[in-house]
Amino acid sequence: MSTRRVAVTGLGVVAPLGHSIEELCANLAAGRSGIRKLDIPLWEALRSPIGASAGFRGDAHFDAPRLRMLDRVSQMALVAAAQAVADANLDLGIEDRDRCGVSVGSGMGGAESTDEGYHIIYAERSDRVKPYTVLTSMTNAAASWIGIEYGITGPNLTYSTACSSGAVAVGEAARRIKSGDVDVMLAGGAEAPLTFGVLRAWEAMRTIASPDPQDPSASCRPFARNRTGLVLGEGAAFVALEEWDHATARGARIHAELTGYGLTTDTAHITRPTVAGQAGAMRAALRSAGLDHGAVDYVNAHGTATLQNDAVETAAIKEVFGARAYALPVSSTKSMHGHLLGAAGALEFVIAVASMERGIVPPTMHLDLPDPACDLDYVPERARTGVNLSAVMSNSFAFGGTNAVLIAEARGARR
Amino acid sequence: MNTLETLQDILIEEFNLTRERVAPDAELAALGVDSLDLLELMFKIEDRYKLAIRDDAPNDLTTVRDVVRFIDRLLAAQQKAPGSGGADRHASS
Repeated sequence: MSTRRVAVTGLGVVAPLGHSIEELCANLAAGRSGIRKLDIPLWEALRSPIGASAGFRGDAHFDAPRLRMLDRVSQMALVAAAQAVADANLDLGIEDRDRCGVSVGSGMGGAESTDEGYHIIYAERSDRVKPYTVLTSMTNAAASWIGIEYGITGPNLTYSTACSSGAVAVGEAARRIKSGDVDVMLAGGAEAPLTFGVLRAWEAMRTIASPDPQDPSASCRPFARNRTGLVLGEGAAFVALEEWDHATARGARIHAELTGYGLTTDTAHITRPTVAGQAGAMRAALRSAGLDHGAVDYVNAHGTATLQNDAVETAAIKEVFGARAYALPVSSTKSMHGHLLGAAGALEFVIAVASMERGIVPPTMHLDLPDPACDLDYVPERARTGVNLSAVMSNSFAFGGTNAVLIAEARGARR
Repeated sequence: MNTLETLQDILIEEFNLTRERVAPDAELAALGVDSLDLLELMFKIEDRYKLAIRDDAPNDLTTVRDVVRFIDRLLAAQQKAPGSGGADRHASS
């Protein structure tokens, strides 16, 4: 096996808690929630009209002709990817762009365009479907636009594994660098699911949290006894990944090394997670990093706040980490930024890396009523600062069964 | 406002163009209006001119002036056959 290593040199986010890494980290450390009552069209017809909007305005970044070509999901992806490129101080114009690639995770692609197109066809009974509907709604549009933006002529890939898409996109990108196919990958996830049609479909599954009557922002309560489900969020998160020597040769700042990526699949049921599947993915990630479980200092949990996930994930963490599981900080930042579906894994990996750099363990908010089945250290209610983190794990599990786990390490990081 | 001026306004708004660039002789392709854009442009034209464009735009529309002539032809045809206009066809939009 080759010894090529993967450096994380750039981070970028358009998320419910910030449009920059600094803003996002400050809000997470303060335990602020980005979950609100939604004021989208038809919200009155929703049982649970809550979500975590990114508060993103496309017209602040793109002119009218450009906006016509870009669904909201691609707009956010382009802005987050541009942040990652700028943060990496990467000039793609001087790179061999056949050896650069794009890797994006998205569950639903251009959901707003799909929703709008169906509204025109079925509700308005009009034949005026926008001519760009196929191009704005296709799942790989975000990746394609990023490739076009930077003239990246190597692999351009989109992964759609539901809620683990973003983690898979980052992990697979790292593998391509390790294998020697490419030297630079822009990798991440993007999702824009806060439309009536999408929200209604999720509600129909009975997986969406009931709004907290006193405080809608506290509606997502991972690992709590009174958790009622997930809250959807929107946004995009990207990393610039580089082969280690490529990064050091150009004097790049290195946030972290991406060392571990594990993948397993649950086949018991289309939605039901298994302890074995989740534990297997964590073990596979540790194995690929060459790490003992004792080396992991923080786990950013999948922690959706559904009844099923949180109990199964807790059991899986215990299986992998043994007695040490009880001393290991595990938090679900979804309590604050909601569930970004195909972008979740990328956002949470970015959060794990940025937290490691800052020595901060972000909290699990709204966890004042512990569930006896969830008895780990979930860092309830308050962030921990001044913590020395040398290796962090980010868990992403999914409907459809694709379990993806990423590990980043601080070793070799250079400011 | 005549047909040309209205069309120029639409082009300026939708394609981020200046008034100087949307002269009658300007070629649509040079203005960044490709074949898909032209289809979308037809929706705007239907709304602004209260027209119904039955079929897709003819593919021989090359310049701004070509589009003006196309619109004028439709407007004239619609006046001859009242009741076949576009306003009721897309009542909801």
